[in-house]
Amino acid sequence: MNRLSSSVPVDEYLADSSVLVYLSDAVTQLLEHKEEYTQFGVVRYFAEYFSSVKNSNHVLFREYSYIRATLHNRASFIRVFWRCYRQIGKSGDMLSMLEYRSLLQLLCPDFPVEVVQSAARIVLMDDAIDCLMSFPDFLYAFQLQFYYQEFLDSVLAIYQDLLAGKSPNTVIVPTSTSIELLHSVTAEENEKAGQQQDGVESSTLAECVEALCDRFKHCHPSRSCMKEVFNQTEKVCYFSFLMSLAKHETINETIGALPSKAELLIDQEMDQELDKL
Amino acid sequence: MEPERTERKTMPYRKYNTGVTDKYATLTPLVNSCKLHITTIRPPTPERAQKAHRQDWVKETKLISTTHHWNPESLAGGAWSGLLAVQEARDKTTHSAGVNYYYNALNPPKSAGGSGRSCYNSGFPFTRVPHESPISSFQRIDLDRHSLEHCPQLSIMNEVQLLNLQHNLITKIQHLSHMQQLVSLNLYNNRISEMSGIEALSSLRILMLGKNRIHEICCLENLSKLNILDLHDNQIHRIENISHLNELQILNLAGNNICRIENLQGLDCLTELNLRHNCISFVAEVERLPCLQRLFLSGNSITSFDQLACLGESRSLSELTLDGNPVALETWYKQAVLRCVLHLRQLDMKRITDEDRRMAGVQARKEEEKKRESHKQTIHKEKRRLAIRNAAQQWEGVKACLELPPANGAKEEVSPENSPAHSPAQTNGLAQDPSPEEPRRISPGSGPERPSGGTEIRLRTNSRPNSPRDSKLAEAGSSGVQSLSLSDSHLAELDGDTLRLFGPGALEALERGWGVQTANAVAVITFRYINFDAIVPTLPRIRVKFPNLSHLIFLESNISRLPQLAALAQVRRLDQLTIHPEGNPVVSLALWRSFVIYRLHHFNLQRINGQEVTMNDVIAAERVFGTLGHIAATETPRCRLLLLLEESRKRQLQFLLEGRGRRTGLSPEELRDNGKLVGEGLSRALFNYPSRDCSAESPEEGTVESSERAAMIEQYLQELVQRASDTNLKGEALHKLWPSMFAEMVRDCVLEMRDRAAFRQASLAKLSETK
Repeated sequence: MNRLSSSVPVDEYLADSSVLVYLSDAVTQLLEHKEEYTQFGVVRYFAEYFSSVKNSNHVLFREYSYIRATLHNRASFIRVFWRCYRQIGKSGDMLSMLEYRSLLQLLCPDFPVEVVQSAARIVLMDDAIDCLMSFPDFLYAFQLQFYYQEFLDSVLAIYQDLLAGKSPNTVIVPTSTSIELLHSVTAEENEKAGQQQDGVESSTLAECVEALCDRFKHCHPSRSCMKEVFNQTEKVCYFSFLMSLAKHETINETIGALPSKAELLIDQEMDQELDKL
Repeated sequence: MEPERTERKTMPYRKYNTGVTDKYATLTPLVNSCKLHITTIRPPTPERAQKAHRQDWVKETKLISTTHHWNPESLAGGAWSGLLAVQEARDKTTHSAGVNYYYNALNPPKSAGGSGRSCYNSGFPFTRVPHESPISSFQRIDLDRHSLEHCPQLSIMNEVQLLNLQHNLITKIQHLSHMQQLVSLNLYNNRISEMSGIEALSSLRILMLGKNRIHEICCLENLSKLNILDLHDNQIHRIENISHLNELQILNLAGNNICRIENLQGLDCLTELNLRHNCISFVAEVERLPCLQRLFLSGNSITSFDQLACLGESRSLSELTLDGNPVALETWYKQAVLRCVLHLRQLDMKRITDEDRRMAGVQARKEEEKKRESHKQTIHKEKRRLAIRNAAQQWEGVKACLELPPANGAKEEVSPENSPAHSPAQTNGLAQDPSPEEPRRISPGSGPERPSGGTEIRLRTNSRPNSPRDSKLAEAGSSGVQSLSLSDSHLAELDGDTLRLFGPGALEALERGWGVQTANAVAVITFRYINFDAIVPTLPRIRVKFPNLSHLIFLESNISRLPQLAALAQVRRLDQLTIHPEGNPVVSLALWRSFVIYRLHHFNLQRINGQEVTMNDVIAAERVFGTLGHIAATETPRCRLLLLLEESRKRQLQFLLEGRGRRTGLSPEELRDNGKLVGEGLSRALFNYPSRDCSAESPEEGTVESSERAAMIEQYLQELVQRASDTNLKGEALHKLWPSMFAEMVRDCVLEMRDRAAFRQASLAKLSETK
């Protein structure tokens, strides 16, 4: 960032750019593997570390907590995942949730099953989670789920409150919800089956999401895109909303990890590399 | 005439003798006894005495012959006619001669062990009348072969001591109760069906009732002096009413229908018991007869040595016959009997030699060993079964624990259409299922004879030769199973070239010392009921220990993820890999086979789950995972590679990196291609499955250390950031001030140089001053 624009305070700048995360990780790694890296050369190590961060290949074989630590890491991981398994999409194989999880675990040994499950739910609309999914479907759903994890969790909470017939405002104050939640659980269970079919009013959910975006600290999909999705139907349910978001080109572009759906299976550069082998 | 008679008497005897010895060699005892009598009798006063003597001898011969129930028809004609002649001769002289010799056979055999007895050929099957006693006067009535149908009325003859009524047609014993002096009563070969009529004969010592029709032993209550009781060839079913006969020495019950030996207690003087030709199948109570020396059991239904067990407890038994029993046909019959009855001197009328005893000893030891071995085997077999079952049980428990958490979150089971076509039912090469579905409730304590010290029995089986019994042991029907380690919940066994491990404890067997040859023989290892993560740390050891290993089989081992399979790359070579679908969720993944082929490419696997690996499989696997490998190899930061690679490759990489490092000016393009640094295998080598130890080394300590470290790092970075931002601030401030500072500096200079001469002088002065 431009140091001449002194309007940004130091702390804010550091927080925004996640520089501290990388610095801290770099030093931690260095200390953990002192021997190897000393031999390798400390300066060289730092140079390589930050160039790999810049090149987005720093997430390879790293632990899950690191991969999800920053948005840059998340986007990098999604991109690596796409590049590594593009061939599966190309062959048109349909795979199960567990297989996708295993593939993810090859890149990140401790990748948790929950994220994969959530992604599978988006694709399969919450039912029949054992069904097979095509690679592109899963990839976009996974991108949305993994990149906007925190935001989606909050939206789900709001959605469930709406389903239970509660004022979404209560969600804002956590203390008041806890008691009401207890009451609503049974009611929700009963009504869930009937209500889930038609979901909630799009406008209501849109308002709530708008309010959420206002106070949300983490990253969220652009408001215009969400508005667009909400405007498509009068009633919306959570997973269909997510599916629409996952397929939204603009959001994909915003994240910037994956190519557009049309070009998903094309990776000229990599194909050339592979041909060489 | 006298000499002639003598001649006649002696000649037939000789004839008889030779006849018997020639034709009935087995009957020599009788002959011996007869001979003996002649020789032992003292010659009394000349003629008459001698005559009487002879007479007596004849009597005795007769008596003996009858008590031994000669079958006249079976005797050689010559011999028998000779005997008849004797009989006739005697008949003529019976009453004239003072035939009052008392045949005192009935005195307690004080000299039982004397010379006469000892040359007796023991083991003779029939009752013998003792003969050694001298003869004194007696009242005697002999009514042999008189076709009597009733007992004669002999009321006046109270003094009679010896009454012979053999070979008549008597049906009932009558008119005898007044003969209180009667010592010997011979009713051999009559038609008597009841024993009543003898109750009062309290002096009776010899009672001969052979060859009658008696059904029941009775009426002996007062005959407590009885020495000899002969009831052979009757129809008796049961031994009874004799236990008060505590002076009885000889009991002959041959040729009856007796099935059990019973009610013998109390016969404290019994030395001879004849039970030939009955239906006895089990020998009992013999040990309760303290004086029993001879026991004849020929021709019964004894089938096994177990039924003779109580013979071993008799301390006095020295002669025994068992011929004609099924048991006598057994191969080691003689030895077995000798082992059982230690003091035996004759068996089936043959002397026992030292050689026999020695053989018996050897046989006994062998038998014992065999028994122990088979017992051991049964125990072992049972233990093995239990161990496997318990391992299965524990495994179920573990699995339940493992599956519970994910089952809550989401259904882990895989839909049927999801199961790949090539994975199931490839069971060839798998061991048969020892039915883990059997009832589960086996408490660990229920195993037979759990070893007291430690839970393990080790049978170093190398010393045991392969023997046929092993085949019985092996469930799968193979021979030569060696048990390496066995406890109540694990089992390790070697079956030919297959090493089978059941339960986590069995992994311990891999750690111990193996003979080179044994280890070399192992080509297949089967894991069952062992968590794969527990197996992984042993793989390097397996690599070192079993150079010829070519096939790994995993039954229930909970392999659930592809990265786990990468751990298999650690073994030396592998031609076949079998991962059973049951208990290994990974097999339900469509990609597992491809991944195995890709990751274990260097093994050039021939078969996976019994299915051959074709070139197409390899290409397909390469297509699916090739990109992944390529990216992993080329794009992973090299410092990171150092951590991911195993030791040998790491050193290789390090060397290359350093080498390049010294050559300055390396192009980034060159460096980019990590893959070429360490060769093609690198891409695959990156997919490692971390074994448990590295991740779990003292977790608590680790967290403490890492949190400390994190705090330290944070502090360090904080300071760093502070300094950087301070520097930044200073820089920015300087930047702001710089224009005015610069203007000031310029102005100062200009002012100073306004008067050029003065400035020059001042400068010169300054210079000279410094010099």
